[in-house]
Amino acid sequence: MSHKDSIRDGVLLLTVLIGLATVGGLSRWLDSHRPPVDAKLEEEQLYLNGATARRISLGFNGLAADWYWMRSLQYVGRKIIGVPENVQIDSLGQLNLNLLAPLIDTATTLDPQFMEPYQYAAVVLPDIDLQQAIRITKKGIAANPFAWRLYQHLGYIYWQQRDFQAAGEAYDQGSKLPGAPAWMEAMKAKMAADGGSRELAQEIYERMYEQAEDSQVKEMARRRLLQLESLDQRDGLGRVLSAYRSKVGRCPSSWGEIGPVMRALRLNLDSAGAPLDPSGTAYVLVSDTCDVALDPKSEVPVR
Amino acid sequence: MPVGVAQATKISKSSETTRHSMPRRILSIARNTFREAVRDRVLYNLVLFVLLLTAAAIFVGELSGGQERKIIVDLGLSAMLLFGVFIAIFVGVGLVYKEIERRTVYAIFSKPVGRGEFLIGKYLGLCLTLLVNVLVMGAGVSLALIYVSRGWDPLALSIWPAILLIYVELMILTGVALLFSSFSSPALSALLTFFVFIIGHFSADLKSLANSMGSGVARWLFAALYYLLPNLANLSFITPAAHGQLPLPSHVAVVILYSLVYIVIILAAATMIFSRRNFK
Repeated sequence: MSHKDSIRDGVLLLTVLIGLATVGGLSRWLDSHRPPVDAKLEEEQLYLNGATARRISLGFNGLAADWYWMRSLQYVGRKIIGVPENVQIDSLGQLNLNLLAPLIDTATTLDPQFMEPYQYAAVVLPDIDLQQAIRITKKGIAANPFAWRLYQHLGYIYWQQRDFQAAGEAYDQGSKLPGAPAWMEAMKAKMAADGGSRELAQEIYERMYEQAEDSQVKEMARRRLLQLESLDQRDGLGRVLSAYRSKVGRCPSSWGEIGPVMRALRLNLDSAGAPLDPSGTAYVLVSDTCDVALDPKSEVPVR
Repeated sequence: MPVGVAQATKISKSSETTRHSMPRRILSIARNTFREAVRDRVLYNLVLFVLLLTAAAIFVGELSGGQERKIIVDLGLSAMLLFGVFIAIFVGVGLVYKEIERRTVYAIFSKPVGRGEFLIGKYLGLCLTLLVNVLVMGAGVSLALIYVSRGWDPLALSIWPAILLIYVELMILTGVALLFSSFSSPALSALLTFFVFIIGHFSADLKSLANSMGSGVARWLFAALYYLLPNLANLSFITPAAHGQLPLPSHVAVVILYSLVYIVIILAAATMIFSRRNFK
């Protein structure tokens, strides 16, 4: 290679490098100066419905379903990031997630055997669009008549709406399918006996925690279990505080005053003697009302 | 030495020793077609495929909500089909055209090689290239599954019937590309083959169109199209494979038989057209 050729190659290489750097810089400038996206435009309905998307997917419908599923997760994730407080994914009604139902619907139409979106529909959608949640889950049942987990999801939706009879029927139908676990059958009786009990809620979330593959759903179930445990603890602590007030005539000024009783109740205490909630954060003693409250920093959901 | 000339020399030698051995002549052309594809860096797409799978295996876990296994199968097998379709179309349409353009076809046909043998040899050569491609890609998907599962994953094995069906689909498309290239230009052949790929996946719509048409002629036309064009939707098993499902052996057997019959028809038609072609 001659000296002239080397110089030419050097100049060309430099041009490429400078060009790439310029393009990168210009892209950054454009990104930072782009006008904010119109919220209405962002919430525009999907261009394609599930049936059309399936028809034009040319055999790549599984991949297209994955794409819509990941879009659903990103869509919810972006909205949650925008919310300052730590919200639970089963109470996102105030986040205006209008596109979630069509996204999940399209994903499940493209791949009707894709189970994870159905669970997401059962957990996240009821607080946003209950009818769509029920419709999508029933669509899943129609496409997968032997999938007992879909009946579990349907039962969960009805249970959340306190429609214990419909929930019991859904669990009962699911329990008759091959491979359904024994606890599905027991759920019908439990729903009929006391659908609103904490014991039943605990069992529902335990089953959900065991079976969920999605980390968000798993995390939601874990935190609901923490909440249920905390509710029991707070009830117990409330009774201790009332008993103390009845006996002494005033509310304890610190947790230390009822330390022996709490130890007898086998509650976990921190070094200062304050009882710890299931996530390991100390409960707050509300002296005015003689009540116990969650620390705002606690992992346990308030509602 | 240009491939066509090398091919002709090799055929000449083989035809001297085994003058009446048609399979040998076909195999010789097929071998050279495969070598030519390798020399043309057709298999370089494997590098892109490996990069795609590696990226998916590493990053998809964070985006998919625990569905990385399904997504790796969907992505891997879809990429396998897409890359295969591009190879079948863009290499397939050039198989005959390049030989005519370089005039190496004269050297080949000056030897005792029939035009049908030439076409079948070319077809089998590209099928061999696609086979290597599909096998390496399939192994890549299986390894990616084992990687994301942190150990043995039954999906690594259960995806192979779907891979077999993808390969059969590519064999049909290669035949279609060869058929079009036997009488038309590469650009038009590529376009027509791509249309066949698209329409082949719309077969169910063609049938429902045929059933819903009021006019008898239109009904007959759509029904004819439904039966004449290859029904590629029958070979599509990627989505169920991602759920660990296996196709019924009887379904696979019938679909393969259907495809083989279709390939025979295409190659026969291509030979018929190519035999009448005047190279002067």
